[in-house]
Amino acid sequence: MSKYFYIALTSIRSRLAYLGEIGSKTIFLFVVLYIFLCLWKVTYAETNQTSLGGLTLKQMLWYLVVTESIIMSLPTIATLVDQDVRTGALAMQLVRPLSYPLNMLAQTSGERVLSFALNFVVGSIIALMFVGPLDINFQGFAMFLMLLPLSFALDFTIYFLIGLAAFWLEDTTGLTLIYSRMTMILGGMLIPLELFPEGWQQILRVLPFSAIVYGPARAFVTGDLQLFLSVLIQQVVAILVFALVIRIVYNLALRRVFSHGG
Amino acid sequence: MNWLTSYLNLASAYIKINFKSLLAYRGAFISQMVAMFINDFVWIAFWCLFFTRFPVVKGWGVNDVITLWAIAASGFGLAHMIMGNALALPGIIMRGELDSWLLYPRAVLPHLLLGKSSASSWGDFLFGIVVYAIFVKPDLAHFSLFMALICSVAVLFVGFSVFTGSLAFFMGSAESVSTQLRIAMITFSTYPSPIFQGFVKVLLFTLLPAMFVSHLPVSALRNMSMIDALYSVGGALGVLAAGIIMFYVGLRRYESGNLMEMRG
Repeated sequence: MSKYFYIALTSIRSRLAYLGEIGSKTIFLFVVLYIFLCLWKVTYAETNQTSLGGLTLKQMLWYLVVTESIIMSLPTIATLVDQDVRTGALAMQLVRPLSYPLNMLAQTSGERVLSFALNFVVGSIIALMFVGPLDINFQGFAMFLMLLPLSFALDFTIYFLIGLAAFWLEDTTGLTLIYSRMTMILGGMLIPLELFPEGWQQILRVLPFSAIVYGPARAFVTGDLQLFLSVLIQQVVAILVFALVIRIVYNLALRRVFSHGG
Repeated sequence: MNWLTSYLNLASAYIKINFKSLLAYRGAFISQMVAMFINDFVWIAFWCLFFTRFPVVKGWGVNDVITLWAIAASGFGLAHMIMGNALALPGIIMRGELDSWLLYPRAVLPHLLLGKSSASSWGDFLFGIVVYAIFVKPDLAHFSLFMALICSVAVLFVGFSVFTGSLAFFMGSAESVSTQLRIAMITFSTYPSPIFQGFVKVLLFTLLPAMFVSHLPVSALRNMSMIDALYSVGGALGVLAAGIIMFYVGLRRYESGNLMEMRG
């Protein structure tokens, strides 16, 4: 396992060389958080409520800091796999003493961890400026730290599967876009699940999208133990299921790899 | 008048050529259009969900936000499906690729802007019209004004892209700054305008002129107000004028890239 750890570490180091590029994206984070602050401020004021969906305005903005940081830290996993398949670079990877899926997981996780950390720090500064510190307890923060890596791993498995679809499809960008937009809307990036219509909430809670975005963010702002346990189980089950699907699809895909010397 | 007719003919010829070149990669063109359609639709879904829970935000209802999205998407789409190079301007300036455009017996800026069509912008353009027709169900008068306002917003987006892209004459590498400013402008343009107050509102009427995309056109359509429509057009022409001035002032600082380039 240590070799994958070093691949992730190397990925972080190489991304550090492009910190300016990652940093420039935080301008967008600032704009988005400011706009959502304005929107929710007006909504709280017009409804005369101090809490919507179980969150105060302060918690809502911190919730958005986490959800936006998760979404904005996403590396181009599906595109990388798609390109490896299309260009034939995958054949080169297969001769190495590494598992291709785990190598890709390590590489993109390193990039994602760095990008998330930067977004989260900048987002936290913005939230501190606008609404002040969150009354966070150690328990909530610990839950968040446990759920976050699993959220990244689950997101990876789905994007990796989409990338593998390049073996059969002409273009995977459409699938990538559909999945990313479903994660945004059904995962609770823009609105917490509690504010969805009643009938939807039960369905959304069992879909993997909420385990990627909503779960870690909600645990961070509320420290709810029951929520933590249900999201944890949901993440572990979903990762195991998608890992199994990857194994099957990957083995099928490898039969379609043809390489020749040159 | 001959000058105008000549440029309209040029624009029409470029639109046809650019469309044909997009059709050469039919699969990629359609998939980009569909992708943009889905992307925009997700935001409509978000707003429908939001307004299901909170029916009115500072006097704005779901139809106002759908109208806003329709105008912004179609305006942005129209701007860049005809003048797609507006999005690539900072890169063109930075890499010294203006040289080949300077050789033509045409005004540099309009000719350069017409040189490319953005595939995904066709999706934006169609999305706005379809969504407005299906969700808002306008009568003929509203639909006519809507189409006119799309043109106004398109002019504004071209002007803003030219203005921010021309920063490359002064800053060198301005691609990132230009993109960030454009994204900020689009983002501010797609939220209900009454939620912004104070200094930010002033900013959205000046440096990031999003109010000419969101506030004024929506108000013009809601109240059938010709005054608001004229303010929208005035703002758009102002932004375009600022972009043109910025470009030609910057062009004086331009140095040739000594780049060999062939345009087919």
